[in-house]
Amino acid sequence: MNVMLTWVLGAVILIVLLAVFLWLAKNRQKKPASLSPKVPDAPREEYAEEIAFPVPAFQPKPAVKPETPEIPWHYGMDRMVLMVRDPSWIFAYWEISATKQEEFARQYGPDAWNNSRSVLRVYDVTGIEHFTGLNANNYMDISINDEVDSWHIDVSRPNSAFCVDLGRLFPDGTFITLLRSNIVQTPSVSISNLLDEEWMWIEGIYRSITHLHMGSSPMMAEEIAQGMGLVPLGISSPGYISSTGFAAGKE
Amino acid sequence: MAKGYLCFVLHAHLPFVRHPEHEYFLEERWLYEAITETYVPLIEAFDELVEENIPFRLTFSVSPPLMTMLTDGLLQERYLRHLHKLIELAEKEVERTRGTEFHATAQMYRDRFHRIRYIFTDKYQRNILNALRKFQDLGRLEVITCAGTHGFLPLLMHQPEAVRAQVGVAVDLYAKHFGRKPQGIWLPECAYTHGIDNILKEFGIKYFFTDTHGVLFASHRPKYGIFAPIFCPSGVAVFGRDVESSKQVWSSNEGYPGDFDYREYYRDIGHDLEYGYVSPYIHPDGIRVNTGIKYFRITGKTHHKEPYRWEYALRKADMHAGNFMFNREHQIRHLCSLMDREPIIVAPYDAELFGHWWFEGPDWLKFLLRKIYYDTDIVETITPYDYLQKYPCNQVARPCPSTWGNKGYNEVWLSRENDWIYRHLHIAAMKMVELVEQNPFAGGLKHRALKQAARELLLAQSSDWAFIMYTGTMVDYAVRRTKQHIHNFLRLYEQIKNNCIDEGALRELEYRNNIFPDLNLSYYNKINPGIYKATG
Repeated sequence: MNVMLTWVLGAVILIVLLAVFLWLAKNRQKKPASLSPKVPDAPREEYAEEIAFPVPAFQPKPAVKPETPEIPWHYGMDRMVLMVRDPSWIFAYWEISATKQEEFARQYGPDAWNNSRSVLRVYDVTGIEHFTGLNANNYMDISINDEVDSWHIDVSRPNSAFCVDLGRLFPDGTFITLLRSNIVQTPSVSISNLLDEEWMWIEGIYRSITHLHMGSSPMMAEEIAQGMGLVPLGISSPGYISSTGFAAGKE
Repeated sequence: MAKGYLCFVLHAHLPFVRHPEHEYFLEERWLYEAITETYVPLIEAFDELVEENIPFRLTFSVSPPLMTMLTDGLLQERYLRHLHKLIELAEKEVERTRGTEFHATAQMYRDRFHRIRYIFTDKYQRNILNALRKFQDLGRLEVITCAGTHGFLPLLMHQPEAVRAQVGVAVDLYAKHFGRKPQGIWLPECAYTHGIDNILKEFGIKYFFTDTHGVLFASHRPKYGIFAPIFCPSGVAVFGRDVESSKQVWSSNEGYPGDFDYREYYRDIGHDLEYGYVSPYIHPDGIRVNTGIKYFRITGKTHHKEPYRWEYALRKADMHAGNFMFNREHQIRHLCSLMDREPIIVAPYDAELFGHWWFEGPDWLKFLLRKIYYDTDIVETITPYDYLQKYPCNQVARPCPSTWGNKGYNEVWLSRENDWIYRHLHIAAMKMVELVEQNPFAGGLKHRALKQAARELLLAQSSDWAFIMYTGTMVDYAVRRTKQHIHNFLRLYEQIKNNCIDEGALRELEYRNNIFPDLNLSYYNKINPGIYKATG
């Protein structure tokens, strides 16, 4: 009997204690929200946890993401397009159809493809009126993988014209062109040496331009890197978008 | 007395983001925030100056996607819904902060949002362009436009018809809203390459802008450097950006917007306050976003932030306006000692820098324009067109292909992150030219399909998508938009080719992507390839 009473009492106390504990815990969760904004003089980690990336009270539903449709990669045509990136770099992309490959095999034999390798031949055609493939100032070859279909090319030559062939290079040095690009011209990186007699340049003005920032976003990049509060836009409004970007744009 | 001109250019642009198929769409907030924080505050500043009878000249570029969104009934309605919620939150904030050091700022926001609602709805009938038209008619603004969907033109020149369409639809939309053709254009990202000026000339455009080196590195050394325009051989004038005045506003190390008294952009109650409290005012899916209510000043370079004091900030904006004017006076005096004509200092900025990023920016501009009128005889504001009227004779030289992006050329829009888009953009442009060539007399359904195909192509060409991919934030959205428009285009292409147009699907696309309703397909007529030499 006594033993029984002790057990019952023990159980009751345990239940009461548990209830009190749970009630306290529940109340602690319900602690009224602090009404003034937090001033983040706390260390960085805490700041990041509590303010920048708060844990929501419930897991928000992920935003409904519309599906991205698939678009073709190949359009079934032979083409090679050359574009200018800056005074040092140009970019080529290309597409080669199955017909073109078969044609190559017909002309040079079934093993020709395997006996040769893919090469980009980059011609400097500066000052050349009609480029024939043979009259370039000079050229360089870039060996590429068969699967590649675009390439950023370091030409390091401002104010120059370029054309690129995609072709097959045989061990004996024979080069067969498969595709030829359009011609592009890299921009200048300096003040022109061509002077205009009618409009003779005023040296003093050029002296007064001491720092030339090419574009403004290097500053932007610098500021992002420093994690500073303010990121002025470097480039048109998309800069504005990138930093309206929730959380990601923040420190 | 030495005298020179200051040519302010504000370029306002947002990509076309309009999703009627969703009740709420996160990216539509870009427009709402820009209206509340930039466009209306600038209009308010201009209105104040007009009321004070202060003359000023300022060039304002509005991109066609922005024009379209600002005049779109659905987005105007949604903006007002957004603004009402914001006012509701601001009212709550006034109560919540009572007795704290944030109270005055909370009141400032509440009053401000009420005023914005009045200006937006009552004063200008929900249409920001009404205000711009008014300031243009009053001789204060010269409103210009930008390429159709802010396409990055140098990398589209491969198919010059695509560039002609970008310019043509922009000129038409401008004429529709402003009753005349634009005198000048803002090339998206200041991006120029040879041949673009010939297309501008075709549309009667008289001038455009490049970054400093676009003019400075021209084919012949320009006599006046960047302090006078040059003419392209086509006869279109080019104005180069001034380095000094740009840096003072852009750079946070040397520039004004980083001042410790100015408002801190990154401390927004949408991120800082209890989830339960702000949840009705952020994205319905629970994604925390900026509300526009921010209580701290920049304070310093650490994370420690002090409460914002508006009166301190305004005092700083006034000081900075004085400093800017002083520096221009100094600059002009020096230039006048060298030049045999009045110099023009071209200072272009993204409009959204003012107000959205630099909260006090519109006040700074207002203080500056007021000071230029009252306190100086040396500086006067001018627009490029006025300057060309005054000095119609200029040196001829080919500008240097350039942009105002990172490092000054095309790298931002042609990097490893986004180079894949061009194989699609180029072929779609080629197919568009082919479609127009093969269907010269299309009518009815086919004509509608051709126009929609052109809209999808134009939307895919927005430079914004490439830029977002480059910066690495919100990349999913940019990739999806690029692929979606290319996909829509290719479907329409097949349907037009096979003469089996799905009218239901077409109607759906016309409803969603309703930019350029009066699109003129003739811009895609084949150009004789000899006319424009594509160089990039």
